[in-house]
Amino acid sequence: MSDTALTDTPAAPETAGGRPPLVAQLSDWQRRFPLLQIVALVALYGYGLATIDGFGSHRVLYAILINASLLGLAGAGQTIVVLVGGIDFSIAAFISAGDVVIAELCGTYHWSVPAAAAVALAVGAAGGLVNGLLSFRFKVEPLIVTLGVSALVSGLLLKWINGAATGVTPAWLGDLTAANGTTFGLAIPPVVLIWALVALVIGLVLTRTRAGRHLYLTGVNQQAAKLSLVRVGRTWICAYVASAVLAVCVGILLAGYSGSGNVTVGDPYLFQSLAAVIVGGTMFGGRGDYWRTVLGALVLSVVALLLSAAQLPSAEQQMITGGLILAVVGLYGRERRLRDRI
Amino acid sequence: MTALASVRALLARRPYAFAALLTLTLLLIDIAVQPAFAAPSNWPAVLASFAPLACAAMASTPAILSGGGGIDISIGPVLTLVNIVIVADLLPNGLTSPLLVVPICLAVGAAIGAINGFMVAVLRFQPVVATLCANIVVGGLATQVQGGSVPTGSTGWTKDLAGSFGPVPGALLTIGAPLLIWVLLARTPFIKALYAVGGDDATAYSAGMNVPVVRIAAYALGGLYAGIAGIALMSLISEGAASMATQYTLLAIASVALGGTALSGGRGSLVGSLLGAGSIYLINNLLNEVNVSTLWSTAIYGALLLFAVVVGAVLTNTRRRTA
Repeated sequence: MSDTALTDTPAAPETAGGRPPLVAQLSDWQRRFPLLQIVALVALYGYGLATIDGFGSHRVLYAILINASLLGLAGAGQTIVVLVGGIDFSIAAFISAGDVVIAELCGTYHWSVPAAAAVALAVGAAGGLVNGLLSFRFKVEPLIVTLGVSALVSGLLLKWINGAATGVTPAWLGDLTAANGTTFGLAIPPVVLIWALVALVIGLVLTRTRAGRHLYLTGVNQQAAKLSLVRVGRTWICAYVASAVLAVCVGILLAGYSGSGNVTVGDPYLFQSLAAVIVGGTMFGGRGDYWRTVLGALVLSVVALLLSAAQLPSAEQQMITGGLILAVVGLYGRERRLRDRI
Repeated sequence: MTALASVRALLARRPYAFAALLTLTLLLIDIAVQPAFAAPSNWPAVLASFAPLACAAMASTPAILSGGGGIDISIGPVLTLVNIVIVADLLPNGLTSPLLVVPICLAVGAAIGAINGFMVAVLRFQPVVATLCANIVVGGLATQVQGGSVPTGSTGWTKDLAGSFGPVPGALLTIGAPLLIWVLLARTPFIKALYAVGGDDATAYSAGMNVPVVRIAAYALGGLYAGIAGIALMSLISEGAASMATQYTLLAIASVALGGTALSGGRGSLVGSLLGAGSIYLINNLLNEVNVSTLWSTAIYGALLLFAVVVGAVLTNTRRRTA
């Protein structure tokens, strides 16, 4: 029995036997519920409150939440793809695509925002379809397919705008991500509410619907899924389409955030979307859920703000971020011992 | 159909044959488009510009072969770190002898690789997690060593590496070194152990193999190769460039996959990665030669990469739907 996907079966008796009952109980809970992720988030935020003046202010909280919303939305698609057993390295390109398409169509060609958004989403859906189809139908490593699609999309984008984005986004789009923004009179930036809504929908779809269960089953074992009459191909392709479409949505929000189009705006999200999933504790092939990625995005945003508040040079910030991710993931996201897998 | 069947049979036995075919085709097209490309006087420059990607692709290979989801996405930052250490730390301080610089670079690369391997094999991190963190940390380290301005510098032997030692193109050394190390290692039990562990780690463990040691050695070997890639890049550009890390990481992994190495581990070869890198290099080279607008080149590269992997998958029986 070498299938790593079996790790998630609750309370494996042979591991429980060797440990004190309390530890075994806690590790059992950890498997079902992201306990340590919450502890890490509270500890990091508490550390900020204790050491940095004004860390508890609304302004700082909103900065963390807006950053986490964008990261969490970018990580949403990655979560779905990782759960189904793939990986998506084209998220960065689709974020840039959403950003540039909106800015160009609205700013330079004076389209209405809904029409431009529809075009952007169609680009995302088509790209996700190519990702899913090629990687499933031809059994090519999804990593390579998404890299190829990523180059194709950003290349076409670059050609379309002749190298430099010129468009300016409509002002109200910027209000969605403004820290002082309000939603229906509530003093909460709209993007945070959008994220909460998306998180609720994805969380429910993953855990409470047939589509969600098909996703997990496909991720754990494609052969078994097929024998259980799951349409493996459709599930796989839908996961990639969802990922690309969500990335385009992040791009549209980012266009509002920065006020203009930029072909490199998605680049930081190439590895960050993966980091949010990993810090959340979702593992490749059917282990995890979107709530964990939400926590992962929050943890990463708190860390980013802590480091920028400490005014360290960006190189040091980067190194500390890497070390912290490792330390946090080390608490819960490790593989089983080889000798337990025989 | 029989021709297709025999091609499939060949590819099933030699997964790198497709990359070889692709490289050869692209090479012939390149030469047809621009005959000067094949002129012997042009070889040193061509090989020197190919060497960093070639070594980076070979550096990514051992970790992927070692299985268990093995992958090393810290290759790019490691090679730029080595590059920057030479330019910013070693050369300005008078450490110019290759007998000193080369061992330091290889040690830096192998040490980072060994740490990656330790995190994967002993601390049981998923390889993507461990090497993603290494990517972030080493990337930060490279930026810090580079400092505010882009350092530049070169010395006699690095110029020769980018040019030629007498009649021999210098880049043959940087491209040949990983291959030579691999051939020498193939005389030891290590390479066989690597394929065994990559094929099925639980079985290898049951058979009494020291799986963690093999995995650590695999990542360390990849790091060592990344050190060589760093030397190759440094001699080519004679400056520090922390920003090129991501590009090399992604191109290297694409080369490995194009070279017929399975990302699931245990199947593939170093030569395949070299040929995969050759295809990618020649694609980009061809786009430059035929004066395609640089605006188009990214899109065409993406389309050709997709086309190549799909054709490779259709031709390779073993990769078809067996699920």
